[in-house]
Amino acid sequence: MVAAHELKEPLVALRQLAFMLDGTDITDKDVQKKMVGVSDRAIKQINDLMKIQKLQDGIFEMEPVSVRAVCDDVARELMYMFRFNRRDLFVKYSNRSPLVTANRELLHSVIYNFLLNAMHYSGEDARSELIVKDFRDNVRVMVRDYGPALPMDVWREMKRGWIEKPASIAMRPGSSGLGLFIASKFSKYMHANVGAVRHRDGTSFYVELPKSHQMRWF
Amino acid sequence: MLYIIDSDKIMAECIAKATGEEVKIFANAIEAMNEISYGELPEIIFMEIMLDGPDGFSFLNELISYDDTAKIPVVIVSSLPFVKKNLDVYGVVGVLNKETMTPEEIRRYVDECTKRNQD
Repeated sequence: MVAAHELKEPLVALRQLAFMLDGTDITDKDVQKKMVGVSDRAIKQINDLMKIQKLQDGIFEMEPVSVRAVCDDVARELMYMFRFNRRDLFVKYSNRSPLVTANRELLHSVIYNFLLNAMHYSGEDARSELIVKDFRDNVRVMVRDYGPALPMDVWREMKRGWIEKPASIAMRPGSSGLGLFIASKFSKYMHANVGAVRHRDGTSFYVELPKSHQMRWF
Repeated sequence: MLYIIDSDKIMAECIAKATGEEVKIFANAIEAMNEISYGELPEIIFMEIMLDGPDGFSFLNELISYDDTAKIPVVIVSSLPFVKKNLDVYGVVGVLNKETMTPEEIRRYVDECTKRNQD
């Protein structure tokens, strides 16, 4: 039900954008870009929901994955949306372990959802940060935003390790928590930890992936 | 001046375009309340209830607590199924459902407001 509500939002926005085209130049680039951006997000969410169904079949293989390559891919993919919405995206790598044990596709979705969430809840000209660093035997991929603080109940649920179901986040109304739910599901499948840190001026979401030691054999 | 309060920037711009008037857009209730406190009073407010930070009801409660701001007509624009008669106490003059509303409906509220001010 909550997921349906979140998926309805882009359709509502597309409908209103279509009205905006009425009486204006049909080649209005601004409206076109908005329509593409809204559609992309909806398609991505539907694809992720379909992947959740496939998790049960265990078709996503775990393999050594270059965390930096995945982060670069996601950052490149979302950079235009950040620029279009007048947000900054700052990427910083300080991890010494290049490989993690994960599924590339699922990891891509987790980071994508975190970044989209950060973009949505950051103010204009505010920046979001994608930080990758070593954390004990794991590599931590963290996305920091400068939006409203995460409500305590959601934070507690994330502290427990996963989110049971998407639930409305009152302080972050544009979201039903669907993105976090998806990230949580995918992380659990990859035996990775997800979590959140509350800041006074925003929230950091992170996923911790086990380091792959494959490189040590060479 | 018309005020639009919606955390969804795209939706706020769509409403602004539909009004055809000069508007001020606010992403949350605090920004809007500050503007109302220190600036001129808007002729009409189009607002979503679900907002970043304090929700629309907090804003409406604040609005009706002052004699001058209590008279500002408010139109709720939301995807949630609000019923106007339940919101009359907040000075709400109309409810628009984001899923079904058209620019003409938005424009109608603006015209009604303009007409009321001229009378």
